Amino acid sequence: MTTANNTQPAIKDQIREFIQENLASVKGITSFRDDESLMENGVIDSLGIFRLVTFLEESFGVRIGDEEINPENLKTVDTIEQLVLAKSKK
Amino acid sequence: MAYILQQLLTKSAALYPEKTAVWARGRSITYRELDQRSNQLAQLLHQHGVRKGDRVGIYFPKAIESVISMFAVIKAGGVYVPLDPAAPADRVSYIIGNCGIRVLITNDEKRRGLGEATLSTLDLAVLTDLELKSGNGGKIAPWSMLSQYSATDKPAVSLTETDLAYILYTSGSTGRPKGVMLSHQNALTFVEWCAATFHITSEDHLSNHAPLHFDLSVFDVYNTIEAGATVYLVTEDIALFPVTLANFIESKGITVWYSVPSQLILLLLHANLKREKLAKLRTVLFAGEVFPMKYLRQLSELLPHVDLYNLYGPTETNVCTYYKVEPNRLDSMDKLPIGIACENTEVFAINDQDQIVTAPGESGELYVRGPAVTYGYWADAEKTAKMVVPNRFQKNFQENMYRTGDLVTLAEDGNYYFMGRRDSMIKSRGYRIELGEIESALLSHPGVKEAAALAVPDDVVGNRIKAVVSTHEAKPLPSSELQTFCAAKIPKYMIPELIEFMEDLPKTSTGKIDRVRLAQAVPV
Repeated sequence: MTTANNTQPAIKDQIREFIQENLASVKGITSFRDDESLMENGVIDSLGIFRLVTFLEESFGVRIGDEEINPENLKTVDTIEQLVLAKSKK
Repeated sequence: MAYILQQLLTKSAALYPEKTAVWARGRSITYRELDQRSNQLAQLLHQHGVRKGDRVGIYFPKAIESVISMFAVIKAGGVYVPLDPAAPADRVSYIIGNCGIRVLITNDEKRRGLGEATLSTLDLAVLTDLELKSGNGGKIAPWSMLSQYSATDKPAVSLTETDLAYILYTSGSTGRPKGVMLSHQNALTFVEWCAATFHITSEDHLSNHAPLHFDLSVFDVYNTIEAGATVYLVTEDIALFPVTLANFIESKGITVWYSVPSQLILLLLHANLKREKLAKLRTVLFAGEVFPMKYLRQLSELLPHVDLYNLYGPTETNVCTYYKVEPNRLDSMDKLPIGIACENTEVFAINDQDQIVTAPGESGELYVRGPAVTYGYWADAEKTAKMVVPNRFQKNFQENMYRTGDLVTLAEDGNYYFMGRRDSMIKSRGYRIELGEIESALLSHPGVKEAAALAVPDDVVGNRIKAVVSTHEAKPLPSSELQTFCAAKIPKYMIPELIEFMEDLPKTSTGKIDRVRLAQAVPV
């Protein structure tokens, strides 16, 4: 999926916006890059991860198993987008 | 018998020189190396002026170098102060100033984050990363300098068990963190009790989940070293992901685990735990918050081969009571006891008539006496005098006791049960949080007129934090602006998740914020 839908923001924008509003702001983090580790910068904590997964499942209609909740998949906005894209194809 | 903590390392380095002492981030270090590296760092610190009683900060994400640093500081006669690498620089700078840290063991990134005003107060920064970049504000020593020092020599200092070993900062109600002073004897009282109670041996693999500024880590590090065992440091890349963490426990063959209950609950809920995977685990200790019974029953059913212990104690005493979970009683219990006093400590509850509670069913505030009790708070005689008080029940000699602020009930079975707090301290994810510290951060925002922080009970983390705020201007501030503002002053786990705005906060007849009416006005 390389073309962004005109009526809906691109997946990556939605992911970034959710993380900013729900996980980053409450920790006083105002900006982060798409390739920045969300664990190292403290945006994602142990509970935030599950809010994020619930958001991804509900917004993009994918099912993410406990095994897939790992640092490789959820490290950055970029890797989260890749996870959603890979799951949507199935 | 050891009377200062470094003797634990000396003994184990002689007995098990080639055994792995610490593992972290894919690297490990043997007992011989840990002893030698800490000797070298101790000499470097000594050469740069660290003397008996001097405070040395340890400020970088958990790594092998953290344990080397802890031993090096005490070998140099100093007092280490673990600083939370995730805390805002403003809070860390406050602590550096409060306890007069002039030497800091850190890394390049953390050092740069501190700002010139703080850096200029330092005599030396030892950097754990090899990179040496120029910078102002004090001398810099890269880790590579350690090799210039003898591996077997160490500074000649004479320490006794009553000298300070470390200072742990916890949330303070006045808006600033307070430093709990712990002596070698305080620490060893706990370590020796754990060694005898949990029978840690050189075959054990311990985990270290808690951050090093959190007193749970004292068990992980020092009981490992005491026994000649191995400690595996759980870093954020592992801790955040339950499945990854469960795989870590399995692959490292962890036998003894100690953490706050919320981490165990996340494992239960999201790691798809199988008994076979945790076959090596034999003892699970938890502390820091109340373990909800429904999850404890699940944990006990999942791990019938594991001894579960509820440990209780404020940082000021480390651990002072314990309860070994009795699986056959769990179904009939609606609340988990904090148990009975550790064998080398005494606890008692004092009721409103100033009498020691002896009859089952009676309640009072819990007091602690014995060698585990702190001397008090660094540079805060007033706070110390309130909390570490003369034991008026001791007629034959002078001694102090610590008043925990926790209300407890003595039950028929001889166990104490935690009932609540006398003040507005709460726990979230095991962290002590003074609601006053949050309110103080909110009130320092120029737009805020009044602020109250409330605890919202939560099954998994203990409490979530909500704030109610009134502003000087009619229109409310964006929540995110206030959260960002708080983030520069208080740690992330203290920032209110939800902020509501009211025109005026309800008051009591004495003009104080009426928390009862407030809680009714903003249902949680």
